[in-house]
Amino acid sequence: MPKWNDLQGRSFLESNARDRAVGLVDEGTFTELAGPFDRFYSPHLETLGEAVEFDDGIVTGVGRVGVTPVFVISQEGKFIGGSVGEVGGAKMVNAIRLAIEFHDTLAAAHPDLTDAEKPIVVISFETGGVRLHESNAGLLAHAEVMDQLQKARGKVPVIAVIGSKVGCFGGMGFVAAATDCIVMSEFGRLGLTGPEVIEQEMGKEEFDSGDRALVFRTTGGKHKYIVGDCNYLVADTLGAFHDQIAELATKSLADFEAMRRIGSPEKVAQQLRGVALAAEMQPKDARDVWAHAGNADPVALTDMPLPDFLAQVKRLSV
Amino acid sequence: MSLNTLTFSVKGDAGAALKAPVHHGVVGSGDMEVLMEPKAQDGAVSVSIVTPVAGFDDLWKRVLQTFVSQSGLSDAHLDINDNNATPAVVLLRLRQAMTEAQAN
Amino acid sequence: MSDRTSEKAWNHRSADTAERMASAARFIGPGKVVKADDTVALLEAVIRAGDRVNIEGNNQKQADFLAESLNKVDKSKIHDLHMVQSAVPLPVHLDLFENGIAKKLDFAFGGPQAGRVAQFIREGKLQLGAIHTYLELFGRYFLDLTPKVSLICAYKADRQGNLYTGFNTEDTPTIVEATKFRQGIVIAQVNEIVDTLPRVDIPADWIDAVIESPKPFFLEPLFTRDPALVTDSQILLGMLCLKGIYGEYGVQRINHGIGFLTSAIELLLPTYGEELGLKGKTCSHMILNPHPTMIPAIESGWVDTIHCFGGELGMEEYVRARPDVFFTGPDGSLRSNRAFAQTAGHYALDMFIGGTLQIDKFGNSSTATASRVAGFGGAPNMGCDAKGRRHSTDSWLKCGQEQPTLNRVLGDMPRGKRLVVQGVETFGEGRAPVFVDKLDAWELAENAGLDLPPVMIYGDDLTHVVTEEGIAYLNRCADIEARMAAIRAVAGYTEIGLAAKPEETRALRDAGIVKTPEDLGVDRDRARRDLLAAKSVRDLVTWSGGLYNPPARFRNW
Repeated sequence: MPKWNDLQGRSFLESNARDRAVGLVDEGTFTELAGPFDRFYSPHLETLGEAVEFDDGIVTGVGRVGVTPVFVISQEGKFIGGSVGEVGGAKMVNAIRLAIEFHDTLAAAHPDLTDAEKPIVVISFETGGVRLHESNAGLLAHAEVMDQLQKARGKVPVIAVIGSKVGCFGGMGFVAAATDCIVMSEFGRLGLTGPEVIEQEMGKEEFDSGDRALVFRTTGGKHKYIVGDCNYLVADTLGAFHDQIAELATKSLADFEAMRRIGSPEKVAQQLRGVALAAEMQPKDARDVWAHAGNADPVALTDMPLPDFLAQVKRLSV
Repeated sequence: MSLNTLTFSVKGDAGAALKAPVHHGVVGSGDMEVLMEPKAQDGAVSVSIVTPVAGFDDLWKRVLQTFVSQSGLSDAHLDINDNNATPAVVLLRLRQAMTEAQAN
Repeated sequence: MSDRTSEKAWNHRSADTAERMASAARFIGPGKVVKADDTVALLEAVIRAGDRVNIEGNNQKQADFLAESLNKVDKSKIHDLHMVQSAVPLPVHLDLFENGIAKKLDFAFGGPQAGRVAQFIREGKLQLGAIHTYLELFGRYFLDLTPKVSLICAYKADRQGNLYTGFNTEDTPTIVEATKFRQGIVIAQVNEIVDTLPRVDIPADWIDAVIESPKPFFLEPLFTRDPALVTDSQILLGMLCLKGIYGEYGVQRINHGIGFLTSAIELLLPTYGEELGLKGKTCSHMILNPHPTMIPAIESGWVDTIHCFGGELGMEEYVRARPDVFFTGPDGSLRSNRAFAQTAGHYALDMFIGGTLQIDKFGNSSTATASRVAGFGGAPNMGCDAKGRRHSTDSWLKCGQEQPTLNRVLGDMPRGKRLVVQGVETFGEGRAPVFVDKLDAWELAENAGLDLPPVMIYGDDLTHVVTEEGIAYLNRCADIEARMAAIRAVAGYTEIGLAAKPEETRALRDAGIVKTPEDLGVDRDRARRDLLAAKSVRDLVTWSGGLYNPPARFRNW
């Protein structure tokens, strides 16, 4: 395992799921739960003759940021594209469940806990969603994760971090959307239907998934930040993500509620205003939306270094 | 169509025993992971490889033999999940795992 | 003896061209402009059955509109064409043979169509002249394979018919010179016709017709390697090369191939190379396309000069801003030229380094597979020892003088040798062994009825093999037996490598003919991506100060 200090300076994009899990919390505080030595690998892949991994592509564990207990879930995109199957899904579900139970126990014993002392969940997404090899078991895992997110609501804030190569698509795109706060880097991508699937359904003329600039302009961190689908855009280092989590860890439940995109009549109304705007604007490109948000030179935003971007970008308000 | 499991044992020199168990690697395409654990067995290094690719048994044995003799590893058990790693990658990951184990 | 001067006409070629151009005159307007809709009719007017025809294209820019148009001519009139051209990478190039318009092919590089070339040869649809190197084929344009009609491409034409080929000048001057100065016909497709060109690359009086293409010509960003895809194994090989070859010989004048190993090396120069103290001692003069992965080394002050075979999409503004390094025109943009870069590559380089799919036990290497007639483009001209070379450099001389048998051939005469390096992992994709008993090229030769197995680099030209096992210094071997033993010693777990005898390998290591990473003092544990000066295309943009504008497919932000 690389040294924690080295990890902080390392690219989040370049790192593997385990290094991310270790680096997202404070030095020396990460304990892995259901780790590779427990050998919970997928029985379905084994039957199909596909390569297996001892952690089934998902790292789960617990650590600390400042005084905040942090339950960490970190997906590994290099293993079957980060797809979520039965075992990995169960690991996700139980990591969130443990966080909720821990919260309840803690809150019962210490009614005067500060916001910072209450546990949070951090999910590092790197996935296209359901592992097709495990079809129904994979789908069920998604539903169960959603169920846990609902149970965590108003108790344990759930933070999504997305800065990985695969991004966050498919069913897990819905899961990410249902978290309380989303932190991305400009290399992160978030969407429901993956670019290849859009091309397959709508045709190359409509959406060329090989045009990565288009894909990122439509699903990447900068776009998501402008349109409000992500709350924070940070540099591509584990340290930057760690520091953002540290800042968030002290926030109140009301602060997190305000950061949500869905989950209340007000949020739904806001989403619908966004839909109405899209219907009215009929944008041909994400840049049309950026311009509508008040950015005079949208083309320049793409290659702009992050500090300059954050300093001058105008975000869409609906 | 199920996975192939290859199990064998390599005679280790009574050299470097493993200080602690270590896990290293990600089962990406053309890559592998290994769990290395101390196991007292008269110096031997036992190996269990799970791989979708059949027909490379001799190659695995030779590569592991080389690794054990070069590293001096002894009294250990190795569990490997492979996804078509080349011998160069296998040796690289095993060496990296060993370095990590001895650094911890 | 009769009065020959009065009886024999000496202007058959120009008269023939004049007659053809007269029948095409109705399509050609002021400034030699032909409407895109008239292209097929124009080609039918100027091309005759059996003509030798060139369609410009190599591994980069393509006269694709003209190639498509040639496919639409009336094949009852135009057939049995003899195509002489650098490359046949587009489906339409082979459609010409399928459609019965073309019959014979002389070329240098097959690219994605290599499988169809082999198939058509077998089916008798295509009669193969020969597979050449670029320089070899260019040479024959001026000897026995001069095109009668050439279909070329350029970025822009002006109202007189002058052409701007700019960044991607590539093969154009060579083709036009051979064709026009042998009284042939040159037709250009251009992306746009403008009032004023940035500069004139081809003068109007060498051009017979200009067509504004309905869409810009296809250009492949073939030399862009995403640093994100460089593996730890490639980094290890790169470290070995830098320490055991670049540093050991102090090689200044180098060509880097297209593969990921050389990308890794380029990205290691400002880090590991700097650490080894090699800056200023190696890589100062390069023949290569404007590889984006060269940006960190250029920015760190490693490179004095780069001359390019062709351009590379997205590097236009970066090159324009670095005229001290690149060859640029009065307008500031790059002028590439394949013929000159290949000439430098053949005669003036001290080292060629690249990869291959297979190396046989003797050291012959090839990228040919049993079912694809791919050709090697320019690699063989650079991956060989140029026997005509007469100037000396330290690295060239050292490599030559290390040959233990030199005096058996030349007596006491000193002579140098180009370093020709193949860097490979012992197993390739799908665990296919790179070291083999017999090259697939033999099988291809049989399948496609070739006189010779297509060999990219012959064993006697190969001086160094680098694998994860170490470096074999083949130039230090006294005979074929020693060379084979040195190859075996670095061939790892392939069948060839398994035949290595430990005591033999030990002796080769003692003699400095084989060096392992440990012998060289290269720490395998450091072979990690952290060592790369740039880990992503985004990093390259940052290194370039925003001047590099990567093609859409390489953008992940």
